[in-house]
Amino acid sequence: MEKVDFIKLCQDSAKANNHELSAKLLPSARQYLLEHGLGKLPVIWLETNDSGDNNIAFMNTTYPYLNQVFRDMIDLLYSNTFMAAQGTDALQLLEDTMNHYQGKFTLVVEGAVPAKDGGLYNVIARTKKGPLTALDAVVRLGEAAQYVVAIGTCASFGGASSAAPNVTGSVGISQVLKRQVINVSGCPVNPDWFVGTLAHLLMYGPPEVDELNRPKLFYGATVHRHCQRRSYFDNKEYAKQLGDIECMFSQGCSGPRTGSDCPYRQWINHVSWPVKVNTPCIGCTNRDFPDGSAPFFSPLPQKTTSHKQQPDMGKERP
Amino acid sequence: MQKILFSPVTRLSGLLSVELSVDQGTITEADVSATMFRGFEYIMRNHHVTDAVYLTQRICGICSMAHGAVASYLLDQLYDNDINENAQYLRNIMFGADFLQNHIRHFYLFGLPDFVIMPNQPPFLSQNCTDCRLNQKDNNRLATHVTEAVKAAEKSHQILALFGGKAPHQHSFLHGGVAVPPTVDKITQALALIDDIHDFVNRYMLPDTELISTCYNDYYHIGETDGRFLSFGLFRFGNKNEQMLWKSGVLDDGIVTQPQLELIREDIARAWFERAKWLDDGEIRPAPYKSGAYTWTKAVLYQGLHHEGGPLARMTINGLYNGGTSTMDRIAARTLETLLITELIKEWLCKLKAGPAPICQKKELVRNQAISVTDAMRGALLHCAQLQGEKVEKYDIITPTVWNFSPKDEYGNRGPAETALIGTEIPSSELKFVIPGRIIRSFDPCISCATHILDARTNSAVQLKHYFLSRLSTLSQQLHNSMTTGDIISYQPIWVSPN
Repeated sequence: MEKVDFIKLCQDSAKANNHELSAKLLPSARQYLLEHGLGKLPVIWLETNDSGDNNIAFMNTTYPYLNQVFRDMIDLLYSNTFMAAQGTDALQLLEDTMNHYQGKFTLVVEGAVPAKDGGLYNVIARTKKGPLTALDAVVRLGEAAQYVVAIGTCASFGGASSAAPNVTGSVGISQVLKRQVINVSGCPVNPDWFVGTLAHLLMYGPPEVDELNRPKLFYGATVHRHCQRRSYFDNKEYAKQLGDIECMFSQGCSGPRTGSDCPYRQWINHVSWPVKVNTPCIGCTNRDFPDGSAPFFSPLPQKTTSHKQQPDMGKERP
Repeated sequence: MQKILFSPVTRLSGLLSVELSVDQGTITEADVSATMFRGFEYIMRNHHVTDAVYLTQRICGICSMAHGAVASYLLDQLYDNDINENAQYLRNIMFGADFLQNHIRHFYLFGLPDFVIMPNQPPFLSQNCTDCRLNQKDNNRLATHVTEAVKAAEKSHQILALFGGKAPHQHSFLHGGVAVPPTVDKITQALALIDDIHDFVNRYMLPDTELISTCYNDYYHIGETDGRFLSFGLFRFGNKNEQMLWKSGVLDDGIVTQPQLELIREDIARAWFERAKWLDDGEIRPAPYKSGAYTWTKAVLYQGLHHEGGPLARMTINGLYNGGTSTMDRIAARTLETLLITELIKEWLCKLKAGPAPICQKKELVRNQAISVTDAMRGALLHCAQLQGEKVEKYDIITPTVWNFSPKDEYGNRGPAETALIGTEIPSSELKFVIPGRIIRSFDPCISCATHILDARTNSAVQLKHYFLSRLSTLSQQLHNSMTTGDIISYQPIWVSPN
């Protein structure tokens, strides 16, 4: 399969809402790897300052299921969440992976990096030589990795972990690395966005990204653009309260300024998404989430942060 | 005497290290160290109070619904909402589904590699198999059950997302009820999903737990705690959330009493916090360089004593589990609770009436402060808010892992996890991580949740004392008439503790 076909597959299947992206993706990826004699992606996964929601979101992947991703797509060599090894055995694996796969492994970071007080607000592990802070680990591993993927909004932009007043000085990982970072934002990430990005890396290398370094094929259009309730908005029929069937703009919806394919893609085996359950999109993929979306239930013009530069609500984002 | 630095303790949510002192093969001291801090209470300040349901869910990925639920209960008080019966069924179905997700994932993805030899491939490389005891046939069978567990846990979140829009961090369980109409198609879909999960629990999780508890039955005497249990109760019903299906309680010396929140005290003696004396409010601040401290979790005490929470505490207090306080008791109680909740969700789905979205949010605040509690997956959870207008002035949170992974208090008394480790024999150095790992994981620690701050001296909990006391007494009366179902009470697991 050529790259252009792959991208079309991802986009079409989302729009068709027939749940077939991942069902088609896995055999294609396997076929491609077989034909090109490539192995799986060696992955080091660091959990830093976040809620752990992105590893839970990743566990919710369907077609491929979690065990299939482990079997067919990635070699997860270090992960605080999933690895059987513990204590110094786990740290030895981290060291070995870094040495053996220098310049060849993919670093996945889940969470923001606290930069204040020498990074002491997040310690990946305590060692006899002292604490290994998330700051140290992300910088050191980030420099040695082939690809760096930020999973979730905390790792991408700081997210909830860096929300005001940000006492830990937390930042997105691109702030501490002088290299390309692929941001796969969302609070949490939709597993399709993450697994789709891994597939792209495996088959074609880095995906085409938007101005926030996110894969365009998932974040290229706004929620508003593809919302099922767009006709209500166009007719100025707004919900009077949460639970109503009309447009959620009146209830604080951030869809007009949020790049994501939620309306097509949906969540957890593609069964639903926030607007479908009569609540607003709160813009969780955005660079300024959550501060820029608050108060969550106030219409866009009344949010705490003014959104002067939001894209025209009727037009496609560039 | 030998020092063992057990870091990182993997297969849990968040980051944890444990420092152990071992003398002649026995653990004589343990410091459990949560090594991450986010400061969520600061983040809540100045937010519109209705942001609490969505924002506090971001505290925790594996138990987000618990924060969403307790924040909704809190807002229900602040706005004096009336919650109809359909909304309560729907809320509990969603909350229960997140419990199933948590318990299934904990047992198979986090706990199983403590007892079963996993395939020698990532992410299971360098597994220590020194004390894996299942015969080869059983071992390989259990290792393949991970595949089924992955699907069952995903289906649990599918039930939550079906009604809640997404998971983690659902959208529809809000103050005033639930924003989604329980239509007949959704109910049918959820029934089919819960049927599959129930089948999974019966076919795999129960027998697998039984097999592990038989082969590792010494763990019914390893990792025992002092047996002081605390639960805030679970699954609320009633117009004002005033009834609970599983009652709250404090179990001390075999006697169950009603929890009184004014008896909760926090202690920062060994935590990386300091009190800023020069400030009027005397608030505590993070102090990462504080000497003598070893964790971002404060000690939390009830009547001056550490208490343990979680499925074992909940089930013991409710008379649903009759066993000990050990590692295997905690594991067994969690599995048993998983089965009970699948049966409850089935029952609730049958009682749920198809109809419009059961939500009615009042617009005017009737109070400027409130406190709400529930049990979450790993134990007792408390949210407490003080408002200035419609904005949050202070928001305090005490999570279950703060109870279970409390550090020592100012008198040197140990928290439940530390207590469980003390006295444990480490017969060989190959087992220095294996045995403590099993004990620690049986608490199902969630460090993302644990490292928040609450200032009990200046917080509104103290000011709310009288309000809460009256509320609790109402609660306790109603608890006597609480809705329990006969088949749950009579259920007797076959593998409960031999003693």
